[in-house]
Amino acid sequence: MRKADRIYGVIGLGLSLWCYLESTKFTYMTQFTPGPGFMPFWVGVVLALLSVYLIVDSFVRKPGKKDNAKILPEKHALYRVGAIMLMLVGVRFAMNFLGFPLTIALFTTAILLLLEHYSILKSVGYGVAYAAVTWFVFQYILSMGFPKGILGI
Amino acid sequence: MDVITNLMGGFATCLTPYNLAMAALGAFLGTMVGILPGLGPSATMAIILPITFGMDATPAMIMLCSLYYGAMYGGSTTSILVNVPGEASSVVTAIEGHQLARQGRAGTALGLSAIGSFFAGIIGTIFLAFTASTLAEFSLKFGPAEMFSLVLMGMFTIIYVGGKDVTKSLMSMAIGLGLGTVGTDIVEGKDRFVYGISELLDGIDFVILVMGTFGIAEVLESAEEFMKIVPMKVKFWDLFPSWKDTWYCRWAILRGTLVGFFICCIPGSGPTIASFLSYGVEKSVSKHPEKFGTGVMEGVAGPESSNNAAVSGAMVPMFALGIPGSGATAVLLGGMILYGLKPGPMIFVENADFVWAVMASMFIGNIILIIMNLPLVPVFASLLRIPYGLIYPAILIVCIVGAFAVASGLFEVGMMLVFAVCGYFMKKGDVPAAPMLMALLMGPMMERSLYQALNLSHGSLLVFIQRPISATLLSIIALMSLYVGIRSFKGKKAAIQEAEE
Repeated sequence: MRKADRIYGVIGLGLSLWCYLESTKFTYMTQFTPGPGFMPFWVGVVLALLSVYLIVDSFVRKPGKKDNAKILPEKHALYRVGAIMLMLVGVRFAMNFLGFPLTIALFTTAILLLLEHYSILKSVGYGVAYAAVTWFVFQYILSMGFPKGILGI
Repeated sequence: MDVITNLMGGFATCLTPYNLAMAALGAFLGTMVGILPGLGPSATMAIILPITFGMDATPAMIMLCSLYYGAMYGGSTTSILVNVPGEASSVVTAIEGHQLARQGRAGTALGLSAIGSFFAGIIGTIFLAFTASTLAEFSLKFGPAEMFSLVLMGMFTIIYVGGKDVTKSLMSMAIGLGLGTVGTDIVEGKDRFVYGISELLDGIDFVILVMGTFGIAEVLESAEEFMKIVPMKVKFWDLFPSWKDTWYCRWAILRGTLVGFFICCIPGSGPTIASFLSYGVEKSVSKHPEKFGTGVMEGVAGPESSNNAAVSGAMVPMFALGIPGSGATAVLLGGMILYGLKPGPMIFVENADFVWAVMASMFIGNIILIIMNLPLVPVFASLLRIPYGLIYPAILIVCIVGAFAVASGLFEVGMMLVFAVCGYFMKKGDVPAAPMLMALLMGPMMERSLYQALNLSHGSLLVFIQRPISATLLSIIALMSLYVGIRSFKGKKAAIQEAEE
């Protein structure tokens, strides 16, 4: 956790710098009231102070039980998480082209086939069923305007 | 008497078939969420929220509230039958509840937890009706200076009371405040952190943040491993505890109810803290504290009553002051804003029908839940046999649909995925996401109050200490900070001494 705290501290410092730089584009104070730059400035300052504290504390404090804990999961778990995220990103970019039901069917099938080790038949079956149910509920009943894509539905 | 008259009016509103159906649907979903490990009530409410956009505020809120306390009922089932808490506030139930189940008394544990939850739900709602309306009446005296100090106090309380690591909680809050500045500012109408992206002009929608950091991040964490659960079987007739057992636990249920309600009136405490505190109280008042951990009935009845009463307690600051006391009430509060309501004391004046209908629905919801949770427990428990591998793709699909529904665009889906990655790593690093969510919700309110207060005082900061209520609230923040500072210093000193020895 000490290493993680340092990483979080550095990220925090980066974010605080971003806030500070953004705040410089705007007025800090008007005649009586705070201007648009006031809040980002103070968010930047507070975040910087906390980040520095987190980093310094990670070096100074005596190692405790939590410090031995790993921040990242085991390799196979990381693979599962990474794969799910990649598939979600795929959904984000494929939906405009493939349309909502087809994207959902492919997404479900891919998860069940690749990560949950279902048979191809079962994976495709569940994929089609999930897509049909979500399409029926959200597009047909609730009339949500999803991208139609190549299938036109 | 006003409260009773208003509540009667609330019953008249909520006793329509549609509103009753929404309460039943929320109770059903909440029980399912409570039973199935891997998704908490905050995340579920956030996922469901965009789907309710087309509904009126009252039925939508009735559904979300019954989902929230339904999850408290359902959480005990998994704790008792599988020794895996369905949600965080049922962790403590697993200690005694599962031991009782192993002794062949699963039905007694489930029954006591349902009866305790029901009693606490009803009493908690009565307390909520009286306290929230009184507090709201008092807070009508608040001006911008008081509002600023109140929001500040709310945020600090959440961190000091609920946060495990104060530094990380404060960082999370600061990031939330930063996210709250995205969009067009209220003073000069300038675009902050927008960079020409038109979707950001209205700011970051809190639904996107919640679905990413709570919804998808929770799913990712649960999906790290294959989850296989085998629940114990319970016969229908075993589900009702004997009158003797129920009578034996009467004081535990009452103590749990009081602890849960009053602790959770303080922003930041939440049902999890309340249930642990109630367990501690039961152990300390017990004549046989050494038996705790071996299957003690009070150890189930007290915490389960406590986490249900906590739901009503957490709603006091939400309804009366417009300050969310926990992640779940933050979602409810955000929902109210999305439905076009203005949370805070004026809601009791401007939207009285809505508030009293929601409160009245909580009585009805609790009745629905006791019916669902006593005879139907075996049915719900059988849900645990559905592989998690089939459940989480469905949750992810609903998240995608929810993010899309916010603005009918895929930009929001992408933003949700970014927050999901952040939320996942925040969980891994013990950085709580709740302060960030609350700061995103309350940051713009705080900025507006600061602007108005300084405008009225012609730029004088003394306005915050010259007004008695504001000064009192700021003094509480200072005292809390001092206490937390001293405690942290002493803790570090003790750790150093321990390490040296």
